[in-house]
Amino acid sequence: MKTRFIGTILSALAIGAWSEAQMPVSSGGGAPAPQPSGGGSALPSSFDASGSAAKPQQNDPTRQGETPPPQLLGMEMPLMDPSTDTVSYNGGVFDVGNNAAVRARFEKYLQQLPDDSAESKRYRKLINDILKETQRGGRDSRYVIGSETLIRVGKSLYKANEFPGDGGQSGVLASAMVSALDVQRANLSRSGQNAKLDADINELVHKMDRENAKNAWAARNFEKHKIKYTNEMKDSRTMLETSKANVAEKKAEKAANKVASEANLLAAKVNYQSILVSIFLQRRFDHVVIGSRVYRHLFKDGDVKLNVDEDSQVGKAFSKGTGMPPTVNALDSAASNARREIDQSIEAVHNALACNRLGEATQQLIAAVAIGEYMQSVATFPAEARRRIAQYWTLRKRAYTALNARDYATVEEVAAKMKEMDVDFDNSLLLTYTTGKKRQSDLAIRNAMKALQAGDEEKFNTYIAEAGMIWPRNPNLDKGAEMLNKIDAGDPVKEEFRNLYKIGEFRRIAAERERFKVVNMDPELAKQYEEVITLVMKIDGLLGQLKGLAQQDVTLGPCMAYEKLIEWQKEDERYARDKEMMIALKDYESQAHDFVQALRDAKRSEERGEYGSALSCYYRAQCKYPGSGIAKEGIRRVSDVIVKATYP
Amino acid sequence: MATRRSKRRGGRGRKKGGSNMTVLGVIAGAVLVLAAVLGSGVLKKSGVREAEPETSFRIADYRRDGSRFASAGNTYVFDGRVENIETIDNNRIVSISIPDNPDERLPLLVPGNVRLRTNLTRGDRFIFETTCTTGKAQDGSQVKGILIVRNAQSR
Repeated sequence: MKTRFIGTILSALAIGAWSEAQMPVSSGGGAPAPQPSGGGSALPSSFDASGSAAKPQQNDPTRQGETPPPQLLGMEMPLMDPSTDTVSYNGGVFDVGNNAAVRARFEKYLQQLPDDSAESKRYRKLINDILKETQRGGRDSRYVIGSETLIRVGKSLYKANEFPGDGGQSGVLASAMVSALDVQRANLSRSGQNAKLDADINELVHKMDRENAKNAWAARNFEKHKIKYTNEMKDSRTMLETSKANVAEKKAEKAANKVASEANLLAAKVNYQSILVSIFLQRRFDHVVIGSRVYRHLFKDGDVKLNVDEDSQVGKAFSKGTGMPPTVNALDSAASNARREIDQSIEAVHNALACNRLGEATQQLIAAVAIGEYMQSVATFPAEARRRIAQYWTLRKRAYTALNARDYATVEEVAAKMKEMDVDFDNSLLLTYTTGKKRQSDLAIRNAMKALQAGDEEKFNTYIAEAGMIWPRNPNLDKGAEMLNKIDAGDPVKEEFRNLYKIGEFRRIAAERERFKVVNMDPELAKQYEEVITLVMKIDGLLGQLKGLAQQDVTLGPCMAYEKLIEWQKEDERYARDKEMMIALKDYESQAHDFVQALRDAKRSEERGEYGSALSCYYRAQCKYPGSGIAKEGIRRVSDVIVKATYP
Repeated sequence: MATRRSKRRGGRGRKKGGSNMTVLGVIAGAVLVLAAVLGSGVLKKSGVREAEPETSFRIADYRRDGSRFASAGNTYVFDGRVENIETIDNNRIVSISIPDNPDERLPLLVPGNVRLRTNLTRGDRFIFETTCTTGKAQDGSQVKGILIVRNAQSR
């Protein structure tokens, strides 16, 4: 019970110290997805059914309606739940093992070399010597550390303060000790003043007693020496009055000194205790132990109660476990226990590494670093061991990243490596999850292929998108593309379409447009399909219009239609390949036989250099169809040749 | 229909030989042609030496092969109605229609250097004295079977 309580407090304090600088980053919307404990064996539980990373429990129902945590020394107290490895802080719940800040700190620690420098060794020896010096006072309650010892401890702390890794905490503690001693010295001085005041008061009282006795005798013999005593009694009364006033004044001065001493003592205690709590929150447990052990020798009134608000998080953290008010001794105990726990954790890390249980070693080291980053056993953790754990940690991170990216092949590959490194690593849940997702993706691809074969492009796209969403790097997606090409190449309908298009059989395509619609899945064929359908529809429209016009004049109509068809064919050679247009051309050709024959004769004559004949033929054609553009153009062309020629 | 008159004796008839039978045939043909000319309106040009026609001029034949009428020295006289005149530079292309054959048009070239005795006007009938000849185009190619008007007079 006690161990758990202390562990909770220590974890809370440790994370709190880190959180002070780093938590706002995590809680600002970029909270990491939960990560499983036990070396990543429960990674899949961090994701919901859709594969999305779960969100931090910002809306924990058990915390609804709770007032925000109060402030202590400008720092909010985080609370750690050891059962879930989460810390609630500032209204949010964060996974310690998956906190970006914690990860970054741990990775930095893994990359650092052990702190084995001569300077560091000197520092540690200094701290150990101080601990030994104060330990005697702790063990033997009758032993009282004298002022010389306190001064020695203070000097050693100031010396330790010079080491950069100390972070100035030794100096802070030493200064607090000096302040406390100064207050004690001032109180001692005030005690001396009070003693002198007591003596003065006693003297005044004696003097007043003597005067009173003298006055009493004089009163009894007043009648005999009336004139003589009248003046003396008068002086005596005046002196008595003055003495009374002096006594009252000195008593007031004495009371003021007492009040000042008590007030200063309390202030000194609060100052010293706040320093202790501050150092404790910074996980400088050696300093906490030193400060706590020195405390009862600095403040010898036996009052060790911590002057913290019981409703504050620190007060609650201490009182919740024991139901007792927090004390300096409790701090000492907690810090001592933390030192022991951290040393045990480091010992456990070494044992786990010896048995190739990297997952357990990593977890233990994270806990040790999180709680006791400044402890000697943590700071001097060997480089080789750090390297091994760093390798495992990198794999664990890769697994986590790959899982977030839904790269299941990489997840399995990493899991296999982790299994090689950690004999205890259980990859069954991980593999079950990845296998399920991979099959789900493959199934979607299979459905897509079926849709493709059925010519349902919309379903094909939906299934392919689904498969890519579940497993973006599914190799079957590439295979699907290859299959798509193969199906494309082997698709008889597409092949038929290609052939018909190639030979210009647009009419056949148009006649079976529904059957050929499937080619639209291929972008290139889709363009051709659209071209064919558009062209055929246009030709049909033109022929329809032409037929109507030709029927209006049985003599000139066919000539006009024939000439129009010839014009269109010249404009677009695809018209010449159209069967319907060819049929129409032959039809109009037979109806306008003389006109057509004249044009043909003209052309032949022109080709033979018979320009006279050619001109005559064009004129004949013009007679048959006065509106003929072909005849007009021929006349102009041939006339031009004739007039420009020279004749004998 | 038009008649061909040769300034020289002979022509194709002479090529066939000088037998009596041929001479008789030519005379008979000439008689027939003369009768036809008189009937169809194609007149003899005054001052032109009479020649016995060897073949008749049919526009359909001219359309098929105009150069066959371009033997040197042949003159053709047409009585026709001017249907169209196209002037290019100083030259004119006059298309005429022959009576009784309104669907046919016969193109005649009136070179700019030929001074006619009359003004050619569209819709009026004229008698054209022409020669059929072959010219040379600007690119050097032949321009065959062109009827060139040498003279014209209103009818």
